Amino acid sequence: MKKLILIASIALLPVNSLLAANYTIDPTHTYVSFAINHLGFSTMRGKFNQQSGSMQYDAASKKASVSIEIDAASIDTGHDKRDEHLRSPDFLNAVENPTITFNSTKTDWTGDLTILGVTKPVTLKVTSINCGEHPFNKKQVCGFDAEGSIKRTDFGVTYGAPAIGEVLDLQIEVEAVKE
Amino acid sequence: MEQFLNRPEFQSAVIPFGTALLVYAGLRKFTAAAWICALFAAFVIAVWLINGVTFTPLTGTRKIILLVLGSLAFAALAPLLIRQIKLQRAVGPLLTILALLWVFWKVVARMEASGILLFLAGGLALIIALSWAFEHIARDNARLHGAGLGLLLGTGLSATAGASALLGQLALAMAAATGGMLLAWVLLGKAGRSAASNHSISTLPYVLAATLFGLAAVVFARMPWYALIPLATIPLAAGLVPVKPDSRFLKAFVYSLPGIVIALATAFWVWQAGASSASGY
Repeated sequence: MKKLILIASIALLPVNSLLAANYTIDPTHTYVSFAINHLGFSTMRGKFNQQSGSMQYDAASKKASVSIEIDAASIDTGHDKRDEHLRSPDFLNAVENPTITFNSTKTDWTGDLTILGVTKPVTLKVTSINCGEHPFNKKQVCGFDAEGSIKRTDFGVTYGAPAIGEVLDLQIEVEAVKE
Repeated sequence: MEQFLNRPEFQSAVIPFGTALLVYAGLRKFTAAAWICALFAAFVIAVWLINGVTFTPLTGTRKIILLVLGSLAFAALAPLLIRQIKLQRAVGPLLTILALLWVFWKVVARMEASGILLFLAGGLALIIALSWAFEHIARDNARLHGAGLGLLLGTGLSATAGASALLGQLALAMAAATGGMLLAWVLLGKAGRSAASNHSISTLPYVLAATLFGLAAVVFARMPWYALIPLATIPLAAGLVPVKPDSRFLKAFVYSLPGIVIALATAFWVWQAGASSASGY
């Protein structure tokens, strides 16, 4: 009976999960950055300094399933006072909602983005995929560059809109090490 | 027009002030709860301009908005439902404690045991101090609303200086509404039923709004906790003013003045402490 359950379980597993390898995101070589219009004058840029996550990557189909957790309080726009303001209830409300998450719902960069506890579907466009052996530590590494846009007001981040841009351009560069 | 409506000084000062003044002037002959209606209408319009009508996600700030509106509605209805003075005195602080837990528990629960104890002890001390001081001035309209004006002004300015313009704007809108209502009372008081309060229960909106906005500015933003100490003395200061002038103008002026001075001094102190949100976005 146990054998039967085991065989049935394996048969029910998606083919992708059998072929895909597990990777752990390297936080020291992963960058989540953004750009937003500032009062109609210019583009303001910022990034998050702390993130973690995992990835499943199938080299044959070049499809990836990604899960990233970003520390909202690690926002960094190069200006301490502004960063404090961005962490406050006016924007990210980082004390109440300490993490921003992205979880793939399909085997690509389409997934659920959660900001302020609000989850919305987002599709990121992958602009680069490179996998291979790390020249120094000899581990298998994959790197991805992806980009996309979100409307911050959809996530309840309404303060200052529309004077401070509603559309946020996201750029995510990930390096992940095979487990 | 839209340009004006998007400006913080209109959202948090001019519009709530004008709304409260007009609503109080219009309703003062019909109901003793005209002051509550004035604050309610002014705060609803200010919230619509500052936050919009969206309450999703239900953040701590949005919970506070709902609770302030709920406290005003309760202050209007409770005297009809709760006749016993002792019960009226107890229900305000109890509701404020429940409100405190609803707004902050999600964050407080992640703290270590010592942090939880410190937060609960501080929050409880603030509610008791404000409730006790307001209780002593609840039957004197000029002192009650003068203290409310100073307390919310101080909370709003200090919250703005403590890195949350949103919390600051909301508290300042309540202060502006109180100011508008007080001015209408100064100008028109005798023509109607005066700014009659419902005594103990009428202190609830001021105690609840000041407690929640103040603690939110400390917990969710960066207002130093010790700024709440001078702010908590404002109703006490309004009660200690020894003079009892006859004119409504002088009453409103002398009973509001200590609170406004403490409010400005506290906000300046917070700003000097380096918590200013002068980020320029």
